[in-house]
Amino acid sequence: MAQPLPVEDHLIRMQRDLKRALGRDQAKVRWSMVIDQARCVGCHACAIACVAENKLPPGVVYRLVLEEEVGDYPHVGRRFLPRPCQQCQNPPCTKVCPVTATYKNPQGVVVVDYNRCIGCRYCLVACPYGARTSDFGEWYTRGTAELDGKLVGQKAAAQGYEAAPAAEYSKTWPARGSGSPQGNARKCHFCLHRLAVGLLPACVSTCIGRATFFGDRNDPAGLVHELLGSPRLRRLKESLGTQPAVYYLA
Amino acid sequence: MNDKTFKTVAGLAGLGLVIGAWSLIQRLMYGLNPVAFGSYVPWGLWVAFYLFFLGLSAGAFLITILAYVFCQEKYESLARLAALTVLVSIVCELLFITLDLGRLERIYQFLLTPSFTSLMFWMFILVNAMGAIYTFKLWFMVKGYEAKVRSLSWLSLPVGLLFYGVNGAFFAILLDRPLWNNGLTPVLFILAALLSGGALITWLGWLFRRDQDLTRALGRVVLGLLLAFLLMELCQLVVAWWSGGALARDALKALLVGPNWWVFWLVHLGLGSLLPLFLLSCREAPASRSALACLIIVVAFVAARYAFLLPDLMSLRVQGLEDAFVHMRLSTAYAPNLNEWLVCLWVVSLGVLLFALGSRYLPILEREQGGEHV
Repeated sequence: MAQPLPVEDHLIRMQRDLKRALGRDQAKVRWSMVIDQARCVGCHACAIACVAENKLPPGVVYRLVLEEEVGDYPHVGRRFLPRPCQQCQNPPCTKVCPVTATYKNPQGVVVVDYNRCIGCRYCLVACPYGARTSDFGEWYTRGTAELDGKLVGQKAAAQGYEAAPAAEYSKTWPARGSGSPQGNARKCHFCLHRLAVGLLPACVSTCIGRATFFGDRNDPAGLVHELLGSPRLRRLKESLGTQPAVYYLA
Repeated sequence: MNDKTFKTVAGLAGLGLVIGAWSLIQRLMYGLNPVAFGSYVPWGLWVAFYLFFLGLSAGAFLITILAYVFCQEKYESLARLAALTVLVSIVCELLFITLDLGRLERIYQFLLTPSFTSLMFWMFILVNAMGAIYTFKLWFMVKGYEAKVRSLSWLSLPVGLLFYGVNGAFFAILLDRPLWNNGLTPVLFILAALLSGGALITWLGWLFRRDQDLTRALGRVVLGLLLAFLLMELCQLVVAWWSGGALARDALKALLVGPNWWVFWLVHLGLGSLLPLFLLSCREAPASRSALACLIIVVAFVAARYAFLLPDLMSLRVQGLEDAFVHMRLSTAYAPNLNEWLVCLWVVSLGVLLFALGSRYLPILEREQGGEHV
């Protein structure tokens, strides 16, 4: 019996696309995400990977997976809708920020300058997708046991791990509890810190169904550009005119 | 304000400051961690109180404008009282909105990196402009510099109208917020402001002056404003119902039959609207009854602001969000906790104390002499 021909994993192709995009004129790059709902199995691996990558505290979430039951018995099914920030090209959240702390970067990713954000949460109210959350200073490990580490002044238990900041926006942030992003608005940023070193966003790398695709939508040779031609393509709440850069294959 | 009343009011305000200080310290030490609101209901009781004080300042602002811009002499006797009310209300507004910021120490960013497309930025500019204008205006009133007071009143007219209009537009521009996102919201805001502030001035006028005719006249104005406000509120809800779709129905459900239904039906409509409507409608009723109706309107107006703010926040923009990631900060259920109430107590007590000190030590109740000291 003939063996099936080997098929290249989408991740390999996206990695190649990413390398090519990083080598291009960055002013022409526009990052986009395509999520194939038919491939999503609702495992929530992307949500967990995102929490781990960005060390998100309780109550802060960048990418979650919505679940929906459809049809009438006995013809019923479940549908999953991963919802990262939609990276709108006409973002309602940036216009309302009173201190220009949130803006669209040259590659079309809506970012937050943690050192400028005053925590007014107007952007949270303005986002029609509920994609922004505020960091209220919660801890997973508050109240858990602490042990002295092998190094003097270091703690061995989980709280020490949680206090160490993530590398969001490729910057060094103060230890948790002593400054931003606590008190700030927070949101998905397509893992810009990973892109900067040639890695795909955490949610893309960890998608076991290969349902999340990422790349430069202006690159005609890229996978994302190819998928944007699909007749199954749609965007969330398109009637609002926000022009999301996150697309869904329904 | 006589000695006994002053001591009682100042004592109560001092007690409020002491009790509220506990939560204020918690707020300053731990940021927004001690509050009950979260990311899906990002604004809570403090923003409702901000809107409440905004209304109080607007009505008092109207009195000073009537007295000094439109030269309505019968309101001149209340003008200083009204100016003090505006100033104290603005102080409370600023405190509430500042305490609501996640990183309040960065408030200077409004000046360093302003965004001219943001209505919040313009609110910041206008509230500070109003504060500055009314500080000078009160000072000139006390000193008897009438020409300067009139000039400042003319200046405050466009600034004030812009300020109160911008606060309504602040909510009206938000996409997918069916109760707010319509052209009626700025009008509703102006009416709400005039109603609550007018009622406050009527009550304060009665308290300090005991002028039967003036109180009755103001009572009739408040009655008209109350009817106009209720009509506009009804229009807003009906428009949302017919045009807003599922999201609007969720918001209306949260308002009318949600966990806080009693805030709308009992406190806002029953206590804060129908009872004053009844009290103000009696033609031959004594002025004290009008004053009482106005006091009820003022106290219950926090409920009106709460009922405006919360339902749209409590309806989910994307169905299923709450179940997708479960945490208390990712919930549409919201009830203010003790910390939030105690911070409110602290700010309100501070406002009462400032007002008591102002009315005690500034000559705000002396009749205008009409003298020029320019």
